[in-house]
Amino acid sequence: MSPRVTRRDLARLAGLAALAGPLSPPAAAAPRARVALATLTAESLTPATARTALEKALVAATGAASAGAALRALFKSTDTVGIKLNCLAGRGMSPRPELVEALAALLGEAGLSRDRIIVFERSARELRRAGFTPGERDSYRCVPIDNDYDPEPSTSGSIGSCFARLASTTCTALVSFGVVKDHDLAGISCGAKNWYGIIHNPNKYHDGNCDPYLADLLRHPYVRHKVRLNILDGVTAQCHGGPAYRPDATWPLGQLAVSTDLLAADAWAWQVIDAERVRRRLPTLAAAGRPPRWLATAQQYGLGTGDPTQVEIVRA
Amino acid sequence: MMRRREFLPAAVAALLAGVPRGSAAQRPRPPDRHLEGREASWYRKLPDRRVECQLCPRACQVADQERGGCGVRENRGGVYYTLVHSLPCTVHLDPIEKKPFFHVLPGERALSWATAGCNVECKFCQNWEISQFRPEQVASFGATPEELARQARAAGARLLSATYTEPVVFWEYVRDAARAARFLGVRTTVVSNGYISEQPLKEVLPHLAAVKVDLKSFRESFYREVVRGELKPVLRTLEIVRASGVWLEIVVLLIPTLNDSEAEIRDLARWVRANLGPEVPLHFTRFHPTYRLTNLPPTPVATLERAHAITRAEGLDFVYLGNLPGHPAAHTLCPGCGERLIERAGFTVRENRLRRGACPTCSRPIPGLWS
Repeated sequence: MSPRVTRRDLARLAGLAALAGPLSPPAAAAPRARVALATLTAESLTPATARTALEKALVAATGAASAGAALRALFKSTDTVGIKLNCLAGRGMSPRPELVEALAALLGEAGLSRDRIIVFERSARELRRAGFTPGERDSYRCVPIDNDYDPEPSTSGSIGSCFARLASTTCTALVSFGVVKDHDLAGISCGAKNWYGIIHNPNKYHDGNCDPYLADLLRHPYVRHKVRLNILDGVTAQCHGGPAYRPDATWPLGQLAVSTDLLAADAWAWQVIDAERVRRRLPTLAAAGRPPRWLATAQQYGLGTGDPTQVEIVRA
Repeated sequence: MMRRREFLPAAVAALLAGVPRGSAAQRPRPPDRHLEGREASWYRKLPDRRVECQLCPRACQVADQERGGCGVRENRGGVYYTLVHSLPCTVHLDPIEKKPFFHVLPGERALSWATAGCNVECKFCQNWEISQFRPEQVASFGATPEELARQARAAGARLLSATYTEPVVFWEYVRDAARAARFLGVRTTVVSNGYISEQPLKEVLPHLAAVKVDLKSFRESFYREVVRGELKPVLRTLEIVRASGVWLEIVVLLIPTLNDSEAEIRDLARWVRANLGPEVPLHFTRFHPTYRLTNLPPTPVATLERAHAITRAEGLDFVYLGNLPGHPAAHTLCPGCGERLIERAGFTVRENRLRRGACPTCSRPIPGLWS
């Protein structure tokens, strides 16, 4: 059993992250609010095309010479990297295994051993429903949280939660691997909302369109200082009826989005979801009474760029 | 020395101790399992497979595959389910004084049970390790309403008590257990935050013998900032319970600097007297730092005694102090002549001098459920 995480540990984590400063050269050279988009359609999806798209997006997002260089700049070989999936909606609207496996393989090639690459989600049931098999895989370990939370709650602004020990203790770096979809209360459930899955009591924090709760979760040191990469599987997207899978509300977006900014990919996703809603004569998220206003709150906290007008979109 | 009449409950209690009980303090990791659930009784369907819960004033609008704020009710394809019916995470045999009920069958025991979940989030929750978790996150076990009632009967308990977490979130289970218990001659009590909508409250009240409401404060700001609830619906609950004839007691946990001002306590006392009557027992209990309120000290005894003095001076007949073992304000005194009627030591009734529910000295009737 891992030791209990104390407030002192949290303070140390925050301090170390501050001392570490910006990411090393390739990532640091890239604008914080850059979102790289690579084209990837469901029809063309294979392990090879998934890998190619991810490599291109990583390069474009970071400005690195190669995907390997980008990942080496973001993660040390001594890191234990947790890749948090958003699998609530099952196979129809979860990150595709081909993309997740491509990321794990690239991390391995960047110097991380298999034991240090952990793909995780709340439960084994959710992982299986999305096409992932818990256990040792070729290039990663697939691990459900399965109620393994810190014994005491940790407070961040308006939230007080026990964090999954995978996020608080086991992993030294985190990746959000989400999707592009609508959310009935939060507005969208893409990369940031994915982090609700690492706390024991997300149901307590959906009032007010999740604002400021989601922003408060993002500024917790476990998220703010550990998340290095945000990836959205936008091969298929969903503009309405989320967070559950609603086939009639999906459309072939055909994009893979990558950003090192904690918020920018979500800001982009908000725009594409709204555009599709307008195309279908649905009210925008704001008009529907659920704008993702937590993006602005999180930006005010200095966590990244949540204002879509400040996000730079680059095509990979 | 244990008397014969105490033996049976103790023996059954020992048996019950063998029942698996959930507590996140030990934080057992229950196996990943699908909770079957059963359709909830109080909700309405909305377009797009959404539902609106009508159980408590939060009125959560819940999308497909999501849960309400309580964490124990889930929308599955537009049908709302309670996931905790017949799924208690804890069952204990407690003295009724522990609830605390001081005017309900003194000295009797209550088979007390709870499921995971709560519809508010008190920063000072004493049972947060089960109330603030989802049912799949704590160890639970199956017990139908009939089984609970039979367990109570077998344990010699005259009471069943829904308590520990928040009975509102397992309200269907409370209703069904109360029905089953009544059939076996066991009465049901509820220990609740009172944050419930009128319709489900009124539907279940006829099955209950007594309700204790944890009134968190007499200020909306406290409810908003510390509880994440609302005061007004709780006051309405108090009025409804009182008007129904179901026995009512109120508990206020006094927290230093947050809800212990003289003005607030005086406002509370006046409201109780004016709207519920002076005979409703009011308990002030001592706060101990826990959960998200660990930066405050335990409530000073003097603060509790001041609250006692204020509320007595405002005309409330039965004011008690709790979590203060040995304090004389745990005894029941006759409001007429001052005679000590029920003497308590902790949760134990040392002496009960009531005669047919009245003071033996001045014959004044003392309100409560005494037989």
